Amino acid sequence: MAENVIGTDISPPDLRAKITGQARYAEDFHAEGMVFAKLLLSPMPHARVLGVDASAALAMEGVLGILRADELPVQAEGTREGALTDEPKYEGEPILAVAAVDETTAAAAVEAIRVDLEPLPFVLDPLDSLREGGPDAQLGGNMAGRGELTSLKWPASVFEEAGADRLPMGEAPVEWAIGDIDAGFAEANVVVEETIVHQSVTHHPMEPRSCMAYWQNGKLFLHGSTQSTERTRGNVARMAGVEPDDVVFIGEYCGGGFGSKISGSPIMAVPAVLSRKIGRPVMLRITRYEENYIGRARAGFQGWAKLGFRADGRMTALDLYLVQDSGPYGASDFFTAGTVATASYQPENMRFRGVAILTNTPPRSAQRAPGGAQIVAMLEPLVDKAARELDIDRLEIRKINAPDSDDGWLGAQQGRFTSAYVREALDLGGELFGWEEKKQLSGQRNGTKVTGVGIGLSPFTAGSTGRDGLLVIRPDGKLYVHQGIGNLGTHSIADTARPAADVLDLSWDQVVIVWGDTSKHLPYSTVQAGSQTTHAHTRANHAAATAMVVLLQELAARELGGSPSSYRVADGRVFRAGNRAAGMSFGEAARVAMELGGKFSGGEYPEDLHDATKAAVAGLAGEGLIAAARDNYERAGSVYTWVATFAQVELDVETGEVEIIDLASATDCGTVMHPRSLAGQTNGGVFQGIGMAKGQRWVFDPKWGIPFTKRFYTARPPGMLDVPPRPRFAAVDKADPYTPVGAKGIGEPPVGAGEAAYVCAVADAMGGLCLCRTPLTADMILAELEGRPRPYGLLDTHV
Amino acid sequence: MAVMRDMIPPFELFQPAGVDDAVRLMREHGDKGWVLAGGLDTFDWFKDRIKRPEAVIDLGGVDELKGIAVGDDGELEIGAMTSLTEVAENGDVRSGYPLLAEAAGLVATPQIRNQGTLGGNIIQDTRCWYYRSGWPCYRAGGNICYAATPRSMNREHCIVGASRCVAVNPSDTAPALIALDAEMVVASTGGERTYPAEDFFIGPDIDIERMTVLEPGDLLTRIRLPAPWSGARWYFEKIRDRKAWDFSLVSVASMVNVEGGVIRDARIVVNGIAPYPVRATAAERAATGQAPSDETGQAAGEIAVRGARALRHNDYKIALTRNLVKRAIRDAA
Amino acid sequence: MEFLRRALNPWGQDVPIGVSWDLIWAAVIIGAVFVVGHALMVPKKVGTGEIDPDEARGLPEKLQRHTVGARGFHWSMSAAMFVLLITAFFPVVGIQFPWVTIHWIAGVLLILTVLYHIYHVFAKQDFWAMWIGRRDIEEGKQGLKAALGRPGAKRPRAAKYPVDQKMFHHAATIVTIGAVVTGVLMMFRIDNFLLPQNMYLFSDSVWGWIYVIHGVCGIGLIFLVIAHVYFAIRPEKRWMTWSMINGWIDRDRYLENHDPERWVVGERGAVGELEGSGGGGGGTGQPALSDKA
Ligand SMILES: Cc1cc2nc3c(=O)[nH]c(=O)nc-3n(C[C@H](O)[C@H](O)[C@H](O)COP(=O)(O)OP(=O)(O)OC[C@H]3O[C@@H](n4cnc5c(N)ncnc54)[C@H](O)[C@@H]3O)c2cc1C
Ligand code: SF4
Repeated sequence: MAENVIGTDISPPDLRAKITGQARYAEDFHAEGMVFAKLLLSPMPHARVLGVDASAALAMEGVLGILRADELPVQAEGTREGALTDEPKYEGEPILAVAAVDETTAAAAVEAIRVDLEPLPFVLDPLDSLREGGPDAQLGGNMAGRGELTSLKWPASVFEEAGADRLPMGEAPVEWAIGDIDAGFAEANVVVEETIVHQSVTHHPMEPRSCMAYWQNGKLFLHGSTQSTERTRGNVARMAGVEPDDVVFIGEYCGGGFGSKISGSPIMAVPAVLSRKIGRPVMLRITRYEENYIGRARAGFQGWAKLGFRADGRMTALDLYLVQDSGPYGASDFFTAGTVATASYQPENMRFRGVAILTNTPPRSAQRAPGGAQIVAMLEPLVDKAARELDIDRLEIRKINAPDSDDGWLGAQQGRFTSAYVREALDLGGELFGWEEKKQLSGQRNGTKVTGVGIGLSPFTAGSTGRDGLLVIRPDGKLYVHQGIGNLGTHSIADTARPAADVLDLSWDQVVIVWGDTSKHLPYSTVQAGSQTTHAHTRANHAAATAMVVLLQELAARELGGSPSSYRVADGRVFRAGNRAAGMSFGEAARVAMELGGKFSGGEYPEDLHDATKAAVAGLAGEGLIAAARDNYERAGSVYTWVATFAQVELDVETGEVEIIDLASATDCGTVMHPRSLAGQTNGGVFQGIGMAKGQRWVFDPKWGIPFTKRFYTARPPGMLDVPPRPRFAAVDKADPYTPVGAKGIGEPPVGAGEAAYVCAVADAMGGLCLCRTPLTADMILAELEGRPRPYGLLDTHV
Repeated sequence: MAVMRDMIPPFELFQPAGVDDAVRLMREHGDKGWVLAGGLDTFDWFKDRIKRPEAVIDLGGVDELKGIAVGDDGELEIGAMTSLTEVAENGDVRSGYPLLAEAAGLVATPQIRNQGTLGGNIIQDTRCWYYRSGWPCYRAGGNICYAATPRSMNREHCIVGASRCVAVNPSDTAPALIALDAEMVVASTGGERTYPAEDFFIGPDIDIERMTVLEPGDLLTRIRLPAPWSGARWYFEKIRDRKAWDFSLVSVASMVNVEGGVIRDARIVVNGIAPYPVRATAAERAATGQAPSDETGQAAGEIAVRGARALRHNDYKIALTRNLVKRAIRDAA
Repeated sequence: MEFLRRALNPWGQDVPIGVSWDLIWAAVIIGAVFVVGHALMVPKKVGTGEIDPDEARGLPEKLQRHTVGARGFHWSMSAAMFVLLITAFFPVVGIQFPWVTIHWIAGVLLILTVLYHIYHVFAKQDFWAMWIGRRDIEEGKQGLKAALGRPGAKRPRAAKYPVDQKMFHHAATIVTIGAVVTGVLMMFRIDNFLLPQNMYLFSDSVWGWIYVIHGVCGIGLIFLVIAHVYFAIRPEKRWMTWSMINGWIDRDRYLENHDPERWVVGERGAVGELEGSGGGGGGTGQPALSDKA
């Protein structure tokens, strides 16, 4: 028997190439006759292009052409973003592109272009836009409502009422409630209330979204960076104005996306269309500077929360109000935020109100736990505040309110979870961290340093269903797992193939993963977002492998006699139960399948497959024994993962600096597929969250609407030295009962956990004082400790 | 004309082999030339096409500018092109001038320290992000300071020494060198001059477009450190947002001579609070004759920030400076 | 040579940021050329020497030309002006020192002296004395012909202030007002205790033009100062220079250079100006120095 690979550490097939530098990212590809493009970015946060004079540029030697917004098949309109625009809505938005024989020439050509711009009103802070007479980010309004732009203004009285110390809360376009919020507060023994700011932050993946395109025989070949391969192709086709069949998308490696490259990027349209226009392959290398603009960002919140608790620690009421900074084209984080809060606390009564306002800052998109990370980091310190007042242990109060598998519920609809081993995760994390001992250190002073400890519990969606698996056994006897998902830097490209190996009882070295190139016949897959991949594709591959077993059994019975059910599959053979010799190898089976054709070799396939998968199967037909299946496994409820992170910090009261001394996290993400990778994902997410809380910044000049944090050193994402060298990690490792492998996703939930644990620990070191904003930098902490004026206003964003 | 960033424009590269050659080339090209040391300040400017010299004079091949040597009188000479890593790790620096080793070792990251030079680190331009964005501010020859308006984002800017420009000096080694009473040896076609480290840096009141006394054609060749203060205590600390890749918000460097439990002599220098490293002379005087205690430190710290004025977002620097001066006296080891 | 210094503002808009400093040298060179040219072309005639004894009758030996107040104004204004010019231009040409504070304080002093001057002119002096009237123009023409040595051209006698002096005064007034008004506005851009700092009081290009005007006026002043100093030390004008120091001129100089009809020395030994003074004729006469002595 092959060893079961699920739950063991493996080296993913792309690892060696990555660490030896052989992995080729989009920018590493070259095509015959390739030329380079450069972008001309808007210098103004909101403007209208009145005219472009490119004559000097076009007259330069080596300049091959320019591309304007109106030449693109997909053009910017309302909240739809174009790759280029004649009405830039943030400083740095690309206006046009120039192609030239080399980048030096292209850059000089861009400099030689004269763009006549009319500045338009702009806004950076949603609250400014909500004021009567305040500027709107778009000419049509400041709010995206069902595809149409509208303008929402609050009367001055709303702002007056709020004063300087509270979020103004006018009419909220989004509102939902559970139970009776007033009754909930009436029942509460302790009520805490705060105005809280969570910053917007840019994604900053290591690999900027460079892309290269060329056309051959009417087909577009595009090399790009994406999180999800198969689901990027259609997007590229749409942007290039062709059919998906006419697009070959290649992206084997992705240097990080974090939600910013879910199905490619709008900018891919530029080399695609420009190369068609000038008849040469076009490489567009995106620089770090440009990535800062077009690379997406997390939506920030200006929020207000009021929490009510009974003396026993149970949350009786949660009242939330969020004002979202949606960037110029919209974001949906705030919808998720309210839902995620229910997955943390199961409030007996709740009200959610929210308003999402457009601003002239770079576009938002999902960023690792969009909405979830923010709300967790905003609310967890308030839970601690209540716990202090109620004199309840902070771990305990989380356990009291956590959902469980039996009657936990989610969101306004109060649907069920497939599983929720949240208390187990909290206990496990507490044990790992040594919560009982460490909480004694809280507030202890050593010289100028004060210790603080904190917990962050973070739920996030972690699965989806209904995708397809596609497996081929070729004459070489190996199992080829065709993965439509992308290789976004996690190990999911390999890990989700493992159930196939296990179902077929095949040793891992006999498995070949096919990925990263849509000409390689890839099945319909999830977009790699919402931490769905592990869940969705362990299921899909499990389904396909199960179908493969059936095919092998049928094929063996047909060739060797007996009933299919009398055959077993293991170690690369299909054989009669109890007699290994009576059977055939996978290689032989593949050859037979190729002869037989029909359902054995892709000639027939299940009708419920997605069209993309059908096309892939058809493309592969005759190349081996082919099994494709849709994931039709039952799922009763929402798939959620929880991560609990525990942090111990030391705060230097003379400098405001915070050092993280210890970190431990525990998760309920179902069955552990790959321990090392799970630890990597969890700790990485925790660090990313800490970065948002501790010092990563996105600063704009309010007068000009221009950001300064355009490079790593000014944006300050966290580095390795900012976290303890040995963060600890454990998983509950209890299978989710509604998925055959038992695994749920892990990509996103750690972010909020790390962020919340950090802010809670800092608040703890400050004697329970919540500054209620991120980032929580040394200057703010020191100002507070020294009783000096706060460096920023309560509701200031982009600080 | 449109703005392009992140793409180095062409220039003519010169690679002199000796100081004489370098100085001659520098003179030849005047303010159209640019001296290249480690490139970590330089290339930022080039990449953004904000500074566009015609000629770049790369000092990488000038061996006489590299290395660390002990002189006859026990003084130490460090070539301007010596890497920060070497400064941080050199045995003579570590034993005689641990303050400098520490300061150099806390610069940025190991990669930057391998590449960055001591000379470049001292001479580097301010990191004011308005200026670095290519905005035409005073320092760039314009007529406005974008950082000094009531809405400006000036958390990193100065609390003393402002004169129209409110930027700060970013160097970590500069305050250490002033505390150590180093001398800067400068060559030009006119010969060699030396400046006490303290006088090497200039404020915007004198020249808003320069951070040091160096003018086009001037080459910093060596940094000379007087024989070590025997038995002196030292202190260096930089406060920053991250543990690596980060400039100081405020840094302090001090040399304190304590005899019989009393401070006999002190040199305390603070950087990150002014357009130049600031010697806290009043604080030094206040501490002299006192025990290096918390109280002495506190009093000296208070004195050090007398007259400091915060901009919109950097009031914390007043408290931070006070506390760091306190530590520099109290915690000097 | 560029006239303006221009830059791209943060929004990439091309805006002026100031006058080109090359113009400093232009002003110096033009000033030098003017001085040298003038010195070569205009002979150093020390007065006409022709004095009509009739006119001299009844006039005191010394006639006051500038009151203490007027002289005080002139010298404090010129001190402020020199400080302003030095603090403005020395750093630009490479002589560096902390100049900003000195410059604006000198500017404030200049404004105070100018305010005093305006008050003095209206309250104590004859405002119209500096007016350039028809006869001044005639005088100017004549003077120019005489200076250029045209045959038969005789240097005319002036009112209290010769027309070239009036012209200098007006040129100086215009550039000073230009520099003062823009200078006051520029104080919003620096840290001072008189005006709140407000970088964004005007748009970029308006600010740019303010700096340009300030620069042009400053550079204009370089030229005017050169010319003024030059004339002040020319032998035939030194009596005027002296009068700015000690306040008086002697009777002969008066009669030689001034037209007693246009600069009437009043009955009470006062010196006054009638021409063009509208309704206030002579009423603003000042006592002659000799009275005081
Ligand atoms: C991300 C980042 C983080 C950083 N963090 C820090 C930090 O924490 N602390 C810190 O102190 N520094 C920091 N630095 C600065 C860095 O350490 C370098 O010291 C500095 O950028 C310049 O050194 P360089 O040798 O690279 O010089 P260059 O960039 O080549 O030169 C700098 C300047 O000095 C001039 N110059 C250099 N050598 C001479 C010479 N011998 N004579 C005359 N002129 C000369 C050059 O013309 C140029 O103007 C950081 C830099 C970066 C990019
Ligand atoms: S602080 Fe100095 S460098 Fe920064 S914008 Fe102001 S003048 Fe320019």
